[in-house]
Amino acid sequence: MKDTGGTVRKATEADIDQFMSMIMRMKKLNGEFDSLFRVREGDMESIKEYYLRCIKDQENFITLLAVKKDKIMGLLKAEIRERISYEPSREVRIIDLYIMPEFRRKNVGNLLLGGIYEEMKKRGISIITAEFPSLNLIALNFYEKIGYRQVTSVYGKNILDDSPD
Amino acid sequence: MNSGERTARFNKLAVEYSRYFKGKIRTIPNVPIHSLKDFSYWYTPGVAEVSMEISRNPEESFNLTGRWNTIGIVTDGTRVLGIGNVGPEAAMPVMEGKAMLFNLLGGVNAIPLPLRTSNKDEFVAAVSALEPSFGGFNLEDIESPKCFFVLKELQEKLSVPAWHDDQLGTACIILAGLINSMRYTGRKAEDSTVTLIGSGAANIAAAHLLIEAGFKPGNLIMVDSKGILDKEREDLDSLMFTNPWKYELALKTNGENRKGPIENAIKGSDIIVSAAKAQPGTIKKEWVSQMNKDSIVFALANPLPEIWPEDALSSGAKIVATGRGDFPNQINNSLVFPGVFRGMLDARSRGVNFKIMVKAAQEIANYVGALQPDKIVPSMDDWELFPQVASTVARAAVDEGYARKIDSREGYLKTARETISLNRTMIEKSMDLGFIKKLPEVKE
Repeated sequence: MKDTGGTVRKATEADIDQFMSMIMRMKKLNGEFDSLFRVREGDMESIKEYYLRCIKDQENFITLLAVKKDKIMGLLKAEIRERISYEPSREVRIIDLYIMPEFRRKNVGNLLLGGIYEEMKKRGISIITAEFPSLNLIALNFYEKIGYRQVTSVYGKNILDDSPD
Repeated sequence: MNSGERTARFNKLAVEYSRYFKGKIRTIPNVPIHSLKDFSYWYTPGVAEVSMEISRNPEESFNLTGRWNTIGIVTDGTRVLGIGNVGPEAAMPVMEGKAMLFNLLGGVNAIPLPLRTSNKDEFVAAVSALEPSFGGFNLEDIESPKCFFVLKELQEKLSVPAWHDDQLGTACIILAGLINSMRYTGRKAEDSTVTLIGSGAANIAAAHLLIEAGFKPGNLIMVDSKGILDKEREDLDSLMFTNPWKYELALKTNGENRKGPIENAIKGSDIIVSAAKAQPGTIKKEWVSQMNKDSIVFALANPLPEIWPEDALSSGAKIVATGRGDFPNQINNSLVFPGVFRGMLDARSRGVNFKIMVKAAQEIANYVGALQPDKIVPSMDDWELFPQVASTVARAAVDEGYARKIDSREGYLKTARETISLNRTMIEKSMDLGFIKKLPEVKE
């Protein structure tokens, strides 16, 4: 496998600006796939606060950066979720995985996944899931290629869009 | 008459003449027919055996029918000239005109085929279904980025060449012009820096072709309506899906990772290739004066170039080209497609690629001979250009393993000359004998 020439580290509060810029690129891309993912451009401060909380709350979130020298190549943000009815009772859910365009096709995605697998082992969690817009075929192909399969489907609509009859 | 009045006059004549002639091309028999007896081999019963021959070996369709010299000119009418999405019926006059040029300059039987398709898959399916009848397809006036998707799919799918003239024809003549401009100003492709203004069909294809011709990807900078295309631009993510060709160029061009407006790209460039907004002032004089010494400026928008040639020249440009015939150095696809198709058809080529196009561009450049700053490309009445380009393209198709019919360069040249000149003689005779009527009088 190609070596990215980079490493993975946990995101820190000092990374928040770059972290946010990549998160917003990712969310805007999601908006291209589905109108339910329209970005709340008006309230960047609240969004930033939320992600700062995620970076700080290492018990419930894993936030990783792939870096090469002083350049951030990509990020991964995941949540630790309870599965109260299932065995094992915890899973890691990848919510955001974003790689800057110039570092794509260079194995940075796998570098980040390697980082999160390490973290999961430390915490004794074995199940990982990832969510992304259904129409994002590049994400779909990426996860399928590395052995993930479809486990849940999420369907949605905006009830205000319903036309009568 | 000023240029506005001139245009209005041409518009009026075009409509009146079209109403009078009712179509710019037609088909007529190619075989002697003197009596009913002749139908026995041109049609039933004899023709059945010809069908059987082809049924046994479909490649014989290139030898036993006119397929070898027939192409389809296909469009969906979504981006016709500068007038936009006017629909397939309204695209017909333009496609007929193209068919006429193919016939007159290249001796090619070109059939205009505007298609009523509503998306790229339908378009690809329609053209694929037409494949058995044709030796190649010229795609025309299709909106971007749809044109990239359909060209790629058709090139992969078809066993005859698919050529999108707005991309490949334009790219080819741009390269030909640049080859001579660089010769004249003492430049080499690998050391030259190029700003490409406008990132539509023509310039995206041109960037890919320049790279194939030896320009370093990092030395090219693409600019679009949002400014310089750089690796960190926010719209790159959506481009990855909507226009992978532009996305790919964003990643590999612009080695210095310049950002911002056009002038940031132009500063220190050797060459501008602009296919952008048809408005003088799109490129400003002061930007040209910040280019390297003896710069090269191709301002190709029609009908109005992005900068007037005299303004570019007075700001330090050594060579200026436009898309117009009333200035020197007209960068015109018509110098490319007749010869390219003549060559591909004579080789019965299965396809076309950037390598073949680079050779075609070199041939066009070499044809010019003694270079002058106002004579870097041939003109459309250089009749001998077309067979020369044809034979180069045919040989290039052989080198690429695409040719069904292999011949020497001289052999291909002879075939192309004969085909083109016979065709031209027929047109001239038809005019002499009055079968092609004279232009009618049109009242002012």
